[in-house]
Amino acid sequence: ARPGGSMEPPAVPAATFERRVVRSGAEHHYLRVRLELPDGGARPSVAQFKQLVVSALRELHGEVGAALPVDVLTYEEKSLSAILRVISSGLVKLWSALTLLGFYQNRRCAFRVLQTSPFLLALSGNSRELVLD
Amino acid sequence: SYYVFTFSVGYSTVALNHIIDFKEKKQEIIKPVSPAELFPSLPFVQGTSKRIRVLSRLTLVVSDPSHCNLLRSTSANIRFYDIIAVFPKTEKLFHIACTTLDVDLVCINVTEKLPFYFRRPPVNMAIDRGIYFELLYTPAIKDSTMRRYTISNAISLMQICKGKNIVISSAAERPLELRGPYDVANLGLLFGLSESDAKAAVSTNCRATTLHGETRKSACGVVYTVKKPRKVEEEEATLPACKRAKTQA
Repeated sequence: ARPGGSMEPPAVPAATFERRVVRSGAEHHYLRVRLELPDGGARPSVAQFKQLVVSALRELHGEVGAALPVDVLTYEEKSLSAILRVISSGLVKLWSALTLLGFYQNRRCAFRVLQTSPFLLALSGNSRELVLD
Repeated sequence: SYYVFTFSVGYSTVALNHIIDFKEKKQEIIKPVSPAELFPSLPFVQGTSKRIRVLSRLTLVVSDPSHCNLLRSTSANIRFYDIIAVFPKTEKLFHIACTTLDVDLVCINVTEKLPFYFRRPPVNMAIDRGIYFELLYTPAIKDSTMRRYTISNAISLMQICKGKNIVISSAAERPLELRGPYDVANLGLLFGLSESDAKAAVSTNCRATTLHGETRKSACGVVYTVKKPRKVEEEEATLPACKRAKTQA
């Protein structure tokens, strides 16, 4: 027998919280992109822009890539900038397809990805365009 | 102008490339044009107050071992270049470039199917020596066949080197063919790099290459000291004479 006796710790009540681990993060990723078309030709409309994105995906990732659910949330024809939404698992595919796009209707073009974030609200402020006085 | 646009995309250092192809008639290596002549004032890096650094780089397209003699001669204009890259066309030259040549970058062909397979020994030796492998992404923008070759060559390189010592750069001739640093890091993910390796391929490894070029230009030798262990002598002295004779025998 151990000297000092063994003291049982007081009974702990059962825990009443529940722990949830979220590893996948957000469902969608949002990208703010701008299409650069230096020659002063006709600007694409919304439908043509969406078709351009889908064809870029098809060129790089095939039919499976073209089937990736991509939405054009906003589009400004004047500045050719848009906000795209894509499933988080398809972000790498979409981003690489936009990066490697070189031509639109045989005109040289380039996609510039300005901001990307899993939250749409984060796209409203861009610290790179901040002008400090 | 071209360079102002480059820097608005978000880079802080740019290297201008001169390509020397030995297959053509006698080529001479000229002194690189100094950046001060090209543009009077360099623009600022986006978000900081430092100016862009413009480096000069030489690429040697070698298809014969005799072309490498140029690298060994010290009187040529080669020492004015900050970064030296070699573009081997055969397996033997790739082995020589990785193991003995004094270069900073080994270019990997992305425009056609590789005529040789990568093997582990020269690649590991190059990694130990601090030489980086370079992949280009601009051909992938222009043509779809090049895209396939780029990705297949990159993937076979990744399998051998496991993503270490990779630099992704553009061979852009127009401002429109340039892509921002994060876009290029995303391309690294396509090639099979991990996320940290892909970002390093655009930032850390490039800086290491420029430092490698600087050390190549400046260092002639290294002196280092080693502490000699002294404990062994004391232990031998405490042993009595008879035991010492037995251990020596």
